Amino acid sequence: MSVNLQQKNTANKKSSFTKHIGKYWQLYLLLIIPIIYYVVFRYLPMFGNIIAFRKYHAGGSIFGDRFVGVKYFKQFVGDKTFWRAFKNTLTLNIGYLLFRFPLTLIFALLINEIRNIHWKKFVQTVSYLPHFISIVIMCGMIKELVSTSGPINNLIASLGGQKISFISEAKWFSTIFISSGVWQSIGWGTILYLAAMSNINPSLYEAAAVDGAGHFRRVWHVTIPSILPTITTLLILDIGGLVGSGGAFEKVYLLYNPMIYETADIVSTYVFRMGIGGGNFSYATAVGLFEGLINLVLLTIANFASKKLTDSGLW
Amino acid sequence: MAISSAKKKPMKVKENLGYKIFLVVNYLIMLFIVIVTLYPFLYLVSQSFTSEQAIIRGESGIIPKGFNIDTYKYVLKGEFLSYYKNTIIYTVIGTVLSLVTSAMLAYPMAKSELKFNRFLTPFIIFTMYFGGTLISNYILVVGLGLKNTVPAFILPMMISTYYVILMKSFFQSIPKDLEEAGEIDGLSKFGVFIRIALPLSKPIIATMTLFYSVMYWNNWYNAFLYLSKKQWPVAYYLQTIIRGVGAKEGDGDATSVSANIKSCAMVLTVLPIICVYPVIQKYYVQGMMLGGVKE
Amino acid sequence: MKKLKLVCLLLTASMIGSCFVACTGSEDKEETSATTIPSQIETQPTETEEQLDYVYGETFHSDVPVTYTMFFSDASWYAMQDSWLTDGIFKDIEDITNVHLDIKSYDSSDYMNNITLDINAGEAAYIIPKIYDDSAFVDGGAIVPISKYVQYMPNFVDFYNTYNMQEDLLTITRSDGNYYKLPGMYDSTMPDYSLLVRKDLFDAAGVDIEAIEKDYTWEDLCDALVKVKAYMVSEGMCSESDYIWSDLWCGNESGQGNGGNLLKLMGNSYDVNAGWAIGDGMRYDQEKDEFYFSPTTDKYKEFLKVAHKFVAEGILDPETFTQDDSTATNKFFNGQTAIISVNKSQYANFVSNLDTNLGAGNYEVYYAVAPRGLTNYSPAGAGRLECGVMISQKALDELGEEGFIKMLRFVDWLFYSKEAYTLCKWGVEGKTYQVNADGSKSLLPGMCCSGLGYANDEEGSMTDIRLEWGYAGGNFWYGHTMEEASDHFIPPVAAFVEHVGEYRDAVPLSPGLAPTEDQTEELNLIATPLIDNVNTWTLSFVTGKEDIDAKWDEYVASCEGLNSSGLVDLYAEIYGK
Repeated sequence: MSVNLQQKNTANKKSSFTKHIGKYWQLYLLLIIPIIYYVVFRYLPMFGNIIAFRKYHAGGSIFGDRFVGVKYFKQFVGDKTFWRAFKNTLTLNIGYLLFRFPLTLIFALLINEIRNIHWKKFVQTVSYLPHFISIVIMCGMIKELVSTSGPINNLIASLGGQKISFISEAKWFSTIFISSGVWQSIGWGTILYLAAMSNINPSLYEAAAVDGAGHFRRVWHVTIPSILPTITTLLILDIGGLVGSGGAFEKVYLLYNPMIYETADIVSTYVFRMGIGGGNFSYATAVGLFEGLINLVLLTIANFASKKLTDSGLW
Repeated sequence: MAISSAKKKPMKVKENLGYKIFLVVNYLIMLFIVIVTLYPFLYLVSQSFTSEQAIIRGESGIIPKGFNIDTYKYVLKGEFLSYYKNTIIYTVIGTVLSLVTSAMLAYPMAKSELKFNRFLTPFIIFTMYFGGTLISNYILVVGLGLKNTVPAFILPMMISTYYVILMKSFFQSIPKDLEEAGEIDGLSKFGVFIRIALPLSKPIIATMTLFYSVMYWNNWYNAFLYLSKKQWPVAYYLQTIIRGVGAKEGDGDATSVSANIKSCAMVLTVLPIICVYPVIQKYYVQGMMLGGVKE
Repeated sequence: MKKLKLVCLLLTASMIGSCFVACTGSEDKEETSATTIPSQIETQPTETEEQLDYVYGETFHSDVPVTYTMFFSDASWYAMQDSWLTDGIFKDIEDITNVHLDIKSYDSSDYMNNITLDINAGEAAYIIPKIYDDSAFVDGGAIVPISKYVQYMPNFVDFYNTYNMQEDLLTITRSDGNYYKLPGMYDSTMPDYSLLVRKDLFDAAGVDIEAIEKDYTWEDLCDALVKVKAYMVSEGMCSESDYIWSDLWCGNESGQGNGGNLLKLMGNSYDVNAGWAIGDGMRYDQEKDEFYFSPTTDKYKEFLKVAHKFVAEGILDPETFTQDDSTATNKFFNGQTAIISVNKSQYANFVSNLDTNLGAGNYEVYYAVAPRGLTNYSPAGAGRLECGVMISQKALDELGEEGFIKMLRFVDWLFYSKEAYTLCKWGVEGKTYQVNADGSKSLLPGMCCSGLGYANDEEGSMTDIRLEWGYAGGNFWYGHTMEEASDHFIPPVAAFVEHVGEYRDAVPLSPGLAPTEDQTEELNLIATPLIDNVNTWTLSFVTGKEDIDAKWDEYVASCEGLNSSGLVDLYAEIYGK
């Protein structure tokens, strides 16, 4: 009896499967090229990371020639330069987050207070602009602006101060990194907040006003609570990316120099120097893989927290 | 504009002095931000018109000293133009390919009735959080024989998972009955996609066009890894002059590029973006919000 | 017949060579070095070779057209043009040898990065020129241990044997007893980087630079510059608070964080590693026959003091160590500064810029020999090797041994024959240059070449043979005899080279070291943070941020803390002591 049922089930499944395909085959057809793309350009390199455990020889198999276990991991764990880079990555990312996150939120609240619609549009348009500027151009600008003959130093000099060679003093790097990052992202970062604010039901404000709440109290008691889910989600996303240095790579690479490695060298630039400059493919992959894994773990935790707190997650 | 003040109406409430002061302060803050945002661009423009002699004397400011257009003549005569042309070609080809393939992926993903999506969605999303490293990506491209070919520049970044998710969210927002009506009219699934879904998706397509073209326009890293000098996009060329030639022993006769030439090249590179983006700003803010809010 | 000629030549060469060995005396080499290479390369002509029909002194020519791939370091200031393939250097090479060079070019700024990637990914070109440091490639198996094949290279062998290059080559020989790079070789050391002074200002201040350069010290130079500054202040050319020396090759762009060229020059005369030459800080003690860590020695302290003196006296701008190169050159071209570092290839460029900014005749410059320190060492540094060429294993694999040897002969001709040297440097006689009655060469009228020191005219109407056809580029001509290498020197440069040879002593060679793969790794792990620390302290001392006497012990302790003694032990282990 039960056997019979099972058979029937499979038969049903089969026919429903063919029916499903029959109905949707055109959509599945669309997927073929993208799926092949993901397999080749996203998953193959993922498996290519295996060379972190296998000695790679010039021109040899892309999966390495010989298993060496965690040799390269042991090596970088004992490598002071790696830990310096790891520390810098964390410091720069956390510092960047600490400044950018509240400033973006405040900026969004302030934009929301602008009452002249044309001025508001203008401010928004201008403030989004830096987001589209390539990092190359931005770093070029930074170098021009902070150079010893640039406007910032001219300003310092005209105020009677000593000129500062910003680009070659280790202590200035985080300032340059963070402020330029804020410059580039602050406007763009307001979009989601402003969207959330525009979705707030006006009756909430009216109710608050009836209760006698002044303007600032309304912002505090209505606006902020209403956009809290957006704030939380964005914050959690950012925390998930704290260890990752992928985004910062281009900027650091274009701005740093050996004199300021102490504060500027991050994991991805170190991987770059070891892997590309030094040809240590396996070692560099091991470091990169380590960074990727930590990132994944952080994201998983952040996602878990997000689901608990706001009921929305990334997956 | 989707972003407009939500509280225009209740603003009638009497405004006290504190609030008025705040409005003035707020105006000043905004003015400051606008100036700080625009200053670097204006400074670059000024430098690009400054004369070589003034640069050597270290004179620079927001108003060009010894105004002249020789720098532009010089830059536009040199190799810069061929790199510029490369960038345009890569941006156009790349953006078209990206749009087509991303839509091909996003549209089926948006169909909840597609059973395969249960596997497909995690398969795609996972790549946002974990992937190949610098070296394994490089070895792959070389292994595919793409080194020193244009596809090596485009393919590794052709589909952005993040943008696919944005597109998917938009497709999901298209009313079902419109698509069903199309099917009743005898359109195939594919026909619905082309004839109904895509025409309704102009905002997201405009957004994606901007995002992808900016991505291609600005990329230098793939060029560094995979392209030969003739194939360089302009962003890579800029990168080399901005990092500074920096004489090493043995390159003793290297000459560094002066600031006015650097600035001029930067201005020319950034110009198209500045010109194009305010025009389609409307679309991308809409698209961004759709993706973001749905998430 | 040809074989006989070759053998005769080699015999003669080896006799001259062995005489050199006897004269210079290299007694203890055999015991001290773990690995060794022959003092004279013996050639064993084989049948293959005879068929190849190429001997010393002849032009390489392939009967059938062949194509070899080659990497090319493309300098942005004379970028490669298509015309080089149709009318320029590559066409000439093909016409003469029937060899087509398939060029894979990369921008010089990223050249090493790009070829490292290519080589490691198995995409190496056959011929890999312009290599300074080959150590990253030795372990991978992608590069041919070329010393096993040099006997097939008659021009190389001739130079090696004639000028007794064994000791020099030993410095690049690896633990397996092979070297992996065909270096550019000079017959004696070739000075390049030194100082350019405003002779008119020096004269006006009562300092005769030509008279004192023979045996002046850095202190003497500092005193002289104080006088020059006093004169400049009195003439209103600068104020008391201005510096009159702002140097290039020390800062952001090219200083590499170690103080670059200037500290290298000074350190060299104090017998310590500094600036560009800091390396891992290890130096060889001739008397004790051992290696020591030089940045913590008393000599280093003295070097720091004299370097700091220039800053303390208000002469040297401390920004030298952080600024962009163009800041320094701009100040010199404006007449704000009175002295600057220079090298042979920049000399003409500096002069033409001074002409533009100060006006010809309004100034006078002099290419001076760098001062003495504790030693009288030549600023040319130790050794007679330059950058060189590597050959990829891929060439051997794909061409087979016979084809490979044939290619080596081509390489030998291209990089070591006088004929190719002249072609790569001067171009074609009658097209770009002429041979004068006295045997010297000069560019034809209407031709210029910034790389050879022939400046363009004001309007820029002349044809630069480097920009137009690719002659005088950095990929091809290295080394050779002083006679050939100096055949383009303009008089001030030639005088400088002569003065260095006359006034200064050669720097003794350190014995070659041959660490194993693991030892290299360990060396790097210790040296990288250690040298970062040394550089940071050094610049702080020189610029006066830290007081040398007060903080010296702290500095030495910090080096100890980073295992400088471990480095010394490791060297002793590698050196076999």
